[in-house]
Amino acid sequence: MPDYFHTQIREALANTGLQEALDANAERRVEARLKANAALPDYPALRHRAHTLRASTMARLDEYLEQFIAKAQLNGIIVHRAADATQATQIVMEIARENNAHLVAKSKSMISEEIGLNRALEAVGLRVVETDLGEYILQLRGERPAHILTPAVHLKRADVGKTFHERLGLPLSDDVSALVAVARQALRMDFLEAEIGITGVNFGVAESGSLCLVTNEGNGRMVTTLPPVHIALMGIERLVPTLDDLALLLTLLPRAATGQKITVYTSLIHGPRRPGDPDGPRQRHLILVDNGREALRQSPLGEALLCIRCGACLNVCPVFREIGGHAYVGTRGEISTYPGPIGSIISPGLFGQSEFGHLARASSLCGACKEACPVDIDLPKLLLRVRAGGIKIEPSRAKQKIPRLVAIGVRIYTWFSIDVRRFRLAQRLLGPLSHIFAPRSIWMHLPAFTGWGYSKDFPRPALRPFRRRWMSRQPGISIISESVVSVVRESGDKPDQLFETSGNESLDSHSLATRFAGELVALEGKFTFCSRSDLAQRILQILHNNNIGSLLSWESDQLPTSLIEAIRAAGVQVSYDLDPSIRAGLTGTLAAVADTGTIVLTGGPGRSLFSSLLPEVHIAILRTSDIRESLPQVLRLIEVQSAACVVLISGPSRTADIEMTLTIGVHGPRELYVLCLDE
Amino acid sequence: MVENMAITDTIQFFVTCIIDTLYPQVGEAAVRVLRRAGARVEFPAEQTCCGQPAFNAGMRSQARRMAEYTIRVLESAPGVVVLPSGSCAAMIRHGYLEIFAGDSQWSSRAESLAKRTYELTEFLVDILDVTDVGARFDGLLAYHASCHLSRDLGVKHQPSLLLRNVKEAEIVELPHGEECCGFGGLFSIEYPEISRAMLDRKIHNIRSSAANVVVACDAGCISHINGGLHRRGLSPCVRHIAEVLEKT
Repeated sequence: MPDYFHTQIREALANTGLQEALDANAERRVEARLKANAALPDYPALRHRAHTLRASTMARLDEYLEQFIAKAQLNGIIVHRAADATQATQIVMEIARENNAHLVAKSKSMISEEIGLNRALEAVGLRVVETDLGEYILQLRGERPAHILTPAVHLKRADVGKTFHERLGLPLSDDVSALVAVARQALRMDFLEAEIGITGVNFGVAESGSLCLVTNEGNGRMVTTLPPVHIALMGIERLVPTLDDLALLLTLLPRAATGQKITVYTSLIHGPRRPGDPDGPRQRHLILVDNGREALRQSPLGEALLCIRCGACLNVCPVFREIGGHAYVGTRGEISTYPGPIGSIISPGLFGQSEFGHLARASSLCGACKEACPVDIDLPKLLLRVRAGGIKIEPSRAKQKIPRLVAIGVRIYTWFSIDVRRFRLAQRLLGPLSHIFAPRSIWMHLPAFTGWGYSKDFPRPALRPFRRRWMSRQPGISIISESVVSVVRESGDKPDQLFETSGNESLDSHSLATRFAGELVALEGKFTFCSRSDLAQRILQILHNNNIGSLLSWESDQLPTSLIEAIRAAGVQVSYDLDPSIRAGLTGTLAAVADTGTIVLTGGPGRSLFSSLLPEVHIAILRTSDIRESLPQVLRLIEVQSAACVVLISGPSRTADIEMTLTIGVHGPRELYVLCLDE
Repeated sequence: MVENMAITDTIQFFVTCIIDTLYPQVGEAAVRVLRRAGARVEFPAEQTCCGQPAFNAGMRSQARRMAEYTIRVLESAPGVVVLPSGSCAAMIRHGYLEIFAGDSQWSSRAESLAKRTYELTEFLVDILDVTDVGARFDGLLAYHASCHLSRDLGVKHQPSLLLRNVKEAEIVELPHGEECCGFGGLFSIEYPEISRAMLDRKIHNIRSSAANVVVACDAGCISHINGGLHRRGLSPCVRHIAEVLEKT
């Protein structure tokens, strides 16, 4: 199937007139909105209230609808419910038939666009006239609206002049006031002659059964006052509980939409003409349209129903600004009724994920829409949910409309990313490969089909990624496999040598510790600095990570004060007696050798040697001050000379006996953790 | 959020896959800046990627696997987690909660992690209470506000505060500095024409500013804008804020 969306995008980007129109719209509307909101005493608070209000209304929609319908009927409005577009148009056609109507005058109504009303009415021989100026122009041009609020946003005045010239026989003009005067003249007769006036509803008020319409031009008032029959089309979600609630939204809607404090006309309609009234329709109908809204309400996209159709998100969206409303097309090339950020959510939500789901992918998720929304709808979150499947979030590439190569790429990337060894491997390949591909520059010129390479170059991956720099042999780097890497804290006046290997390694205890650490790690041991207060926690963490609940230990007076207490208090069983079933051992150390990564333990009362021998996991506590540079220094220690038994341990047990394959963990421990106290 | 963090507490540095692989010097710079500000830095070596690309694509099960992996890695050591990236920090703070919504076990683990996760400038200013890291950078600096950092995380003034205290630097205005550069991750690959149009705008705004260096906090934006500048024969003048703050 041809990619209509991409085609429309390209056409829109190449259309300079459109680009100018969209720029002008964005600049003016955004500035106007910001100015109007700044004049409010506490816009953030109002906005928060509005969000809560709309959300709670949606949560209890059935209840409010019931109340609303009852009140409206009491007021004399004839209420109909339409499950879908077909039913809605049928109801309208029925009313038209009953009233022998020939001419229908319409005020702007997005829901009437949604249900394809005009087409349906014209198909049965009715003449339909759009009376909103923007819609009127579009009707002459045979175009669909390009914006939720300002349908002719894509047109310049010259376009309008040309249309009036071609379709109404007028001399060519781009004098806006002249064009408006023409429209006024042309439509006046239609207002007076139409048998039926059709509008949307901005808000229905449940407590009073009111239909609220906000308009500027006056055509809305015309079509709700002059024709003998008025039909109001309303999405079921456009409800507020009380008139106070209405006031709140009326404060926010015009400002968000056009920067006005209030529209020129705000109508509150209750019922048809009453006996004694000089005017008003003798019949008022309200058609409550579902058309997928109830299903949407109960789906992960439900928050989209909070929308009050202000268009602010369209005006601020950097994508809408580039492509305009007509570019938002479905897979069959059909322009979606609702474009922009909100449209990219409710189009797939109401009209089908497979038809419109891709719209949600044409977003950089910048969040400007959410920021602009007067009811604080989390549009980026909803867009992401559309990407994940929409009404039903599920792992189905077809439903999610993920481009095949992207899906493959993500799967591969995931595979590499859920295991650090694979990730490291990928980096180790990527660095050199990219240097072969692009030897001379840190910027790689990728071909256009890669998407990235369409308009920009790609930064060449580094030969030494961050993690390699961190982990390579330099002062102070070491690793505990539970993902803790320590860095020696430098002393105040030393230059920062974090990632440079220093030639003159000072012999202060810090530097010895880091040399020790490096050696130990090379032997597959694990090292970390630790404070006294953290010791118990670290030990518990190691036990937890290895699924071990008991400890074979040196006696508590041979270890830092209260350590055993703390470990016992956490529920770990600590034994001083030989128990081959215990899988972890805890000891102190007498000293260590920096040159070789060796720890030195002496046996004696309270210092069992089996604790460092039998268990799978050996945890040893060391102090930096006990680290000596070389083996001879350690052997000279008096304790070493006088002890009954001394053991020098350099890493966990290992063998390469079988086919020279190195295996760690034979009879002695397979894991050695050295926790180093900086003292 | 974590309060009253002692200066000697250790932080876990999550370098992010882009900086790890493409801009390791930025990672080094960030660590140096953090240490200079008084923090102790550790690097959980098993970290890979927060999972944002998969989440962005709509592939929730892949994103979830990466999120679970990352949570496990970061759970294995205490202390706050600091990232030199607004979008990755936002992924952990918000994206993870979205992924695990409804899963009581993983939700609480995600929440615990989210509570102690910060973006770099946010951490320096809000937690360490540091606005001057002793940096010196001779140049005209303009600030590009990355979308996830400024809108998703609400981190708007912290980078500017830090930049204002850089000695010898003059901060100049970037027109429409808060407008999206057009990267958006996969968006720039799936809709390269729209992405380019937005990039053209950003580059136009950069050129019309007085800046000779543009500072940003997100390596995605930096790659996109610099890659675009280079392709157009212009100087790739966007730098990560860590690289600026590191200079003394």
